Amino acid sequence: MTVPERAVRHRPRQAVALRILPAFLLIALAVAGPWLAPHTIDTPVTAPYAEPGGGTPLGGDQLGRDVLTRLLAGGRELIATSLLVAVLVTGVAALLGAVGALRPAVGRIVERSADVLMLLPAVLGILLVALSWPGGGRFAVIAAAVVMGVPYAVRLVAGAAAPVAASGYVEASAVGGERLWHLVVREVLPNLRATLLALFGLRFVAAVYVVATAGFLQVGPQPPAADWALMIRENAGGIVLNPWAVLAPSIAIGLLAMSVNLAASALVPQTGRKAVTAL
Amino acid sequence: MAGSLSSPATQSPTGSAAGEDLRPTRPVLSWVLRLGGLLARRALLLAVLLATVFAAVELLPGDAANATSERGESATDLAQRRELLGLDRPVLTRFTDWMTGLPVGDLGTSARGESVADLLSRPFPNTLLLGGLALLTTLAVSLALGCWAALKPGGKADRAVSATATGVLALPEFVVAVALVLVFALWTDWLPAVTLTDADGSPASWQMLVLPVLALSIPQIGWNTRIVRAALADEAKAPHVETAVIDGLPRHRVLIHHLLPGATPTIAAGIATSTGMLLGGAVVVETIFNYPGIGSVLAGAVTDRDSPVVAGVVAVTGAVITGVLLLADLVRAWASGGRI
Repeated sequence: MTVPERAVRHRPRQAVALRILPAFLLIALAVAGPWLAPHTIDTPVTAPYAEPGGGTPLGGDQLGRDVLTRLLAGGRELIATSLLVAVLVTGVAALLGAVGALRPAVGRIVERSADVLMLLPAVLGILLVALSWPGGGRFAVIAAAVVMGVPYAVRLVAGAAAPVAASGYVEASAVGGERLWHLVVREVLPNLRATLLALFGLRFVAAVYVVATAGFLQVGPQPPAADWALMIRENAGGIVLNPWAVLAPSIAIGLLAMSVNLAASALVPQTGRKAVTAL
Repeated sequence: MAGSLSSPATQSPTGSAAGEDLRPTRPVLSWVLRLGGLLARRALLLAVLLATVFAAVELLPGDAANATSERGESATDLAQRRELLGLDRPVLTRFTDWMTGLPVGDLGTSARGESVADLLSRPFPNTLLLGGLALLTTLAVSLALGCWAALKPGGKADRAVSATATGVLALPEFVVAVALVLVFALWTDWLPAVTLTDADGSPASWQMLVLPVLALSIPQIGWNTRIVRAALADEAKAPHVETAVIDGLPRHRVLIHHLLPGATPTIAAGIATSTGMLLGGAVVVETIFNYPGIGSVLAGAVTDRDSPVVAGVVAVTGAVITGVLLLADLVRAWASGGRI
């Protein structure tokens, strides 16, 4: 999975910005959301599953709480958790991948663990960790998501780092007695900026999927927290009475996933093989 | 001219049919030995996964006896249930018991003291049915869409298919499921929104499978369509394809006889990788459609904090995924002329 420089084509800066914009706006709205909310998230203001109208543009949820308020409040934690997971996975993978390219023994271990984890669906892995660690709460989900994500991400970094590690100047400084840490941080990683940025985008997409799914399976945020995935789960029973209680958070998650994915694919250096965007 | 078949976005000279082995075909005995090696490797990976799963359940704080404890239960009660569940025995003994039990279908004991294998024996075939249908749908639709897009590289169809595929591949299954329920069940009333079961615990009619299968496969179709499209684009750069195009063979003929055979290993690998996502997604989709699969068992396990059940589900899904990956290995071997 090497990326020869000549095969990389850069998109015009404007086009990239245009593809990043929707994700940026949506994330900004979700972060500011709780301050824009007209009601409090846990006080009933209307009848359960009330239809939209009056002071509640999106109606009420199963306890008569304002759907719009909970929608505005429900994205921040999902996005913050996903960002944290993406940052951690990218960081750990960057270090491990660079070390793996410089030290083949480490590289092989990482490769084998990725082979093993391929047999474990991410959702089941998170359920397993979250249930075996009842006090873990959000940290259990984050820890599981990071552990599940790192092996794939390392493969990507190691692939991109291999030609750099084999290049003359890195070999020269290795022969010159520089230590591994110096080689990784000063020589290899700075050359992988584009790959790491793209990897971060892809890991953010994967993290949104995983964190949202964990929320839906009720191993992430607990009621009465407002969380988009949890809202879908809680209000599914009243979908006939007030579809907006389910539809609004679904649209929010769908838009988030799609816009983040759009942004991530704009960051990926265009190469011959577009398929290798391991989630 | 190859230019009419290869997408303008894919001009890397590096892409080649994945790691083509150019050694001459070995005799049958050697082939069997290599097949055995392949089997052993997959089995070893599965065993390592299962050991990891056991370790995760053991090493993380919290055990099955604690998880099901009720308020006001005394320490003696707890100790008693621990003994009943065998949690007082040394970790190593329990590990050997669990691991040696797996091949004969003993998946251990749930926190409520039931056999996990019994708990899963009725719903698991339903999940396999759902996942298998979703896998077939994914394969058929992504092959069709990928080929359709590849017929006119850079054309309207190509761009529309690529954009749609990229759009849906990141969507969580439950979001797709909600959209499908709203459109096909509530607004148009064409398909049932929930699954009713027969006396034997399987879905009562095929219509109840349509929406769950669609919800599962749509994101995976997005994913695999891109893989098919990219594999075909890679293959289009091969010299024999170029020759076929120069000879003026019709597009669909080049596609079927020259492009697809070479792209098969990559496509098989992609589809096999989707199995994990499909089974993981099935757990989620089943809870929405009230489908009688392992998803409902897991939902109960979440409420009970019943990690032995989750470990059992991971064990059986891991085994299924191992089987599918092995199948992909064999397809690759067959497509590359009997070499493994």
